[in-house]
Amino acid sequence: MIKNLIKKELILYFRNLNNIFLPLIFFFLIISIFPLVLGPDKLLFNNIIPGVIWITVILTTLLSSNNFFRDDYSNGIIEMYLTSNKAVELILFLRIIACWLFTCLPIILFMPLVSILFDIPFENSFVILITLLIGTPILISIGIFGSALTLGLAKNNILTPIIVIPFYIPVLIFSASAIDSVSSGLPYDMQISILMALLFLILPIMPYLLKYTLELSINN
Amino acid sequence: MDIIEISVNSATCHKNNNIIFKNANITLTNGEICIITGPNGCGKTTLIKCLCGIQSLESGHILMNNIDIQDSDCNYLDNIVYIGHKNSLNDDLTVSENLEYLSAFDSTIDKNIANKVKEAMEYFDIYKYRNFMVSALSEGNKKKTSLARLIMSYKKIWLLDEPLSSLDDNTIKNLINLFSKQQKKGGIIISSSHYNFSDSVNNFKFFKMGS
Repeated sequence: MIKNLIKKELILYFRNLNNIFLPLIFFFLIISIFPLVLGPDKLLFNNIIPGVIWITVILTTLLSSNNFFRDDYSNGIIEMYLTSNKAVELILFLRIIACWLFTCLPIILFMPLVSILFDIPFENSFVILITLLIGTPILISIGIFGSALTLGLAKNNILTPIIVIPFYIPVLIFSASAIDSVSSGLPYDMQISILMALLFLILPIMPYLLKYTLELSINN
Repeated sequence: MDIIEISVNSATCHKNNNIIFKNANITLTNGEICIITGPNGCGKTTLIKCLCGIQSLESGHILMNNIDIQDSDCNYLDNIVYIGHKNSLNDDLTVSENLEYLSAFDSTIDKNIANKVKEAMEYFDIYKYRNFMVSALSEGNKKKTSLARLIMSYKKIWLLDEPLSSLDDNTIKNLINLFSKQQKKGGIIISSSHYNFSDSVNNFKFFKMGS
């Protein structure tokens, strides 16, 4: 069964390559706007570029998770999930992982390029990479949760980000603090540990939470 | 053969403070077909959804062998196949990929999935479309693809919402044959339909709604 499900997720993503490339293009577009607006002040740039990267990543994850269940809802696949006697939690977990793998991981893989573009010191860019690697699965799961929550509503385009963004704050605080620490030469392992704790708290709970939320959304 | 009895006891369902249906009572046991009829908007789809357990009742119970279907020890989901109005098909997968995918959600299909899928496609005459994307199919063929799950599954209770819509006469005949076969195996079929197929099946019950 698992083989079948993984195969299907892979087929779907590779058949719709725009699911993979559009977030990546969006990320590079947004991030390249900042120098145009802020001018070539290198000192200013060094201070704000980690924040810029994080905000752009947030926008990208919001875009890719906003309508995560929409097609499945209109095709009746959600109903099929909920009337099946197999573990739906497992497939929801696989789908979160797949969504992260195909929308966030490409961005993270291009992070060295971004570091070169904006001349970020190696130490800092390493920490940005680590925080993104731990933080983005949390953002994606929360975003998917938001999309499940607003599934039954007709016009939910803006509602999902409004619900979801406050839950992004802890991840942002600890990521920003880790990047801040490393640029002032302080240890940053505490923030990374807290981010890891958040990840390992949210990822196992999320499939169960999602299933419950989908049941509520269908039953209205 | 397991004996299964489904009973709907004075079930009432509300949606947004509107009464969808009230006081529905049905009792069904092995080998029976229940055809739910009634005018548009009388709650046929909602009743089927309640029978699947994805819609909750305001009052009343739906029991299988005297256990509420929402109870965790009922194992209700092990027995039902639900095919709703929507086809549960993914537009970006081909017909055979969709059926393979759907079979992953049914614990009664565990081996020979490829053979099962082929058999199901041949029964509904969609084998020639096996490599077509579902988005390229006609409505009727989409419906056939989603109904092909019935052939693959060994589950006892079929819950169908308008299974005959957009099907041609030949396929309707095939489907009704399938119903008779399932009856002989001791299955229970609950189906909403505008089309009266009661002359072609034995041992059926009508459940009229909206009166």
